[in-house]
Amino acid sequence: MRNIHTTRLYDPWPDGVEPSVPIEGYTNTWLFTPSQPAIRKPVTRTETTGPAELWRKLICGDGNLAVTSTGKWAQGLYMRVFGQILDEDSRPIPNAVVELWQANAAGRYAHTLDNRRAPLDPNFLGNGRVRSDENGWYEFHTIKPGAYPVPVKDAWWRPAHIHFSVLGPGTLSRLVTQMYFPGDPMNDWDRILNSVGDAAARNRLIATQQHPRDAGTEALGYRFDIVLRGRNATPEA
Amino acid sequence: MTYNPENRRFPLSQHTIGPFFPPGFFQPGDNDLTRYSADATPTEQGEVFILHGNVCKEGRLPVPNMILEMWQADANGRFRSECDPEGDQADPDFIAWGRSWTTMEGDYSFRSVLPGSYEEDGQRRAPHLNVLLMGIGLMKPVTTTLYFPQFAELNAKDPILNLVPEHQRDRLLVQPDGEVDGVPAYRFDILTRGPADEETIFFET
Ligand SMILES: [Fe+3]
Repeated sequence: MRNIHTTRLYDPWPDGVEPSVPIEGYTNTWLFTPSQPAIRKPVTRTETTGPAELWRKLICGDGNLAVTSTGKWAQGLYMRVFGQILDEDSRPIPNAVVELWQANAAGRYAHTLDNRRAPLDPNFLGNGRVRSDENGWYEFHTIKPGAYPVPVKDAWWRPAHIHFSVLGPGTLSRLVTQMYFPGDPMNDWDRILNSVGDAAARNRLIATQQHPRDAGTEALGYRFDIVLRGRNATPEA
Repeated sequence: MTYNPENRRFPLSQHTIGPFFPPGFFQPGDNDLTRYSADATPTEQGEVFILHGNVCKEGRLPVPNMILEMWQADANGRFRSECDPEGDQADPDFIAWGRSWTTMEGDYSFRSVLPGSYEEDGQRRAPHLNVLLMGIGLMKPVTTTLYFPQFAELNAKDPILNLVPEHQRDRLLVQPDGEVDGVPAYRFDILTRGPADEETIFFET
């Protein structure tokens, strides 16, 4: 096997790209976030490697959340979310495990902890898992989620968003993030989105709406490319 | 493709998983690193152990719904990856990765085999477990590396453990904790936030 040198494989995060914590008004960040700085360590083999054939453990589906297995349709605006999983050199990452979860059209999660007074949709579970193809592409068919309030002092509404968890080739390329929708005024008020200080970095969390000539009329189309850390962790094709 | 600065992209920012990570993402066997799936044959290499403990936040309050992921070398200190020069000799039945989820009492557990030590860039790495933790209130996952008390000589030379101030290194050791289901158990409790000398030591890269 080719020996990849394990020094300088990962660039440090540029300023303003990582969220700044704790977040004002989001009490949980004050209770959970470590008070001590993390110890910086070099990138070694144990960080550049990651599970081979992870999809054997985390079983992947077809990414269709909009229709149940018995053919019932969820309520809401149908949309296709797709994009490419890439590394920092724009090389596609095949076989990444991509997990998505979201609220329903009324802004409620099908989760026991979400007991907000908004209707549940019996035909919408709101989560799925797919594996990126040989060119790094993934796609989900789902509905556009609703916004929901954060019931804290100085409450605010979370704009419509979709949660993503991506397991790429190395443990250091592990990414958990959220996707937002273009043109939503609530994006400007969201404390979680705005915990990312750099405007360009925030923009990268906003999906690109597809023109109807490309998206068609069956569903709205949003493209969301996901760039993972770890340039040389991607094996060359 | 060789490196071309024009292709340069920035990685996406990280965000919290929030309180609603889907329970359906956990299936039986996900916290068992010794096999590829619940119905796969477990590896025959290495000594099986259980790692368990709880996760607490500020005030030592246990936290439900925290997600832990563990990654490690196989029993011979190899990773099944191109980034390991001996990756093609790694144990093909050992996935080396697992995910656990804390209960309402904040408890988690993993089942695995003792990782081997290995040589890298002329330095010897002690057997270690990489643990990633995510959950509500954590805007990005936190990571740590755990060591075993029985490998004191290897631990003393481990270049990563040596980044930790000497008097704090013991805090990254898992504690022998009897047996569970007939295999040795170790305990490691995590405190994400607390007094400086009690909070879990985390690393970043
Ligand atoms: Fe959410």
